[in-house]
Amino acid sequence: MTNDAPPARTYHFAAAFGAGALLTLMVLCNGTLAQFGSLFFASWVPHLTGTVAALLILLLLRPKRAAKARPPLWAYLGGVSGGVTVMLTSATMNTVLALSGTIALGLAGQVVFSLIADMRGLFGLPQRTPLGRDYMALALILAGSLILIFFGGRP
Amino acid sequence: MIWFASLAFLAGVLVSLSRQINGRLALSTSAMESAFWNHLVGLGFVTVAALLFGGLFAGTPTAAPWWAYLGGPIGVIFIAAGSWLIARIGAAQTAMLIIAGQMISGVVLDIIMGAPGNPWARCMGVALILAGMWVGQGQKR
Repeated sequence: MTNDAPPARTYHFAAAFGAGALLTLMVLCNGTLAQFGSLFFASWVPHLTGTVAALLILLLLRPKRAAKARPPLWAYLGGVSGGVTVMLTSATMNTVLALSGTIALGLAGQVVFSLIADMRGLFGLPQRTPLGRDYMALALILAGSLILIFFGGRP
Repeated sequence: MIWFASLAFLAGVLVSLSRQINGRLALSTSAMESAFWNHLVGLGFVTVAALLFGGLFAGTPTAAPWWAYLGGPIGVIFIAAGSWLIARIGAAQTAMLIIAGQMISGVVLDIIMGAPGNPWARCMGVALILAGMWVGQGQKR
């Protein structure tokens, strides 16, 4: 039996990159809402419409549950962590850090914590040790992002 | 300054924490179910916070363009994709590629919408990000 399907990595790679592009669109939508309504409104509306959209998709597709065992209760609380993020970034955006500083430090926080989580296999996710290439890739992507954040945008 | 900087850093930690928690939920359920719970629990949280602090409907929200209301469904796909990916390529790779996609699409969108910016810095930044993705992609596990 031969397996001539393209390596799964390429597919994952494209999906993650596409997810990043979706994030940009989401930020644009929610940021535009915040120009007209309150910061709470700009976070409340997407959570409301998102809940409805996810429910509709679930009812339409009825995806199978991956495991019979019940997930731990804390696994349902990802939304709280996301909700606090919105408040923190809204607060720091209006300090000396401004939007660019907030984004840059946020990227650093994501990267550092993700690396620790991977090395330790936190939260019941697979453990994996980053290789030299991973750190190299990380350094290049962060350097490029920082240049875009501090020099590429509005002067 | 240090105080605000640590808050902004913490926000990044929380983004990645949220992705890991949702990823764990998706391991037992499905990526779409994790996106549903993420939004429902987040909705409850923001509603309580808005009730405590007030001013949810301040301003002129009805004046916003219709497409600004599409952030929710886009977010659902985004969260589901993150939950699906993190169990397959790990937290660091997922974060890295999402950052790359976000930055490059941000540049493209800025150019389309005619936002002012430095073309040299943009080229340099995008080139570094692409180089990083190329380096990260070339490995075998």
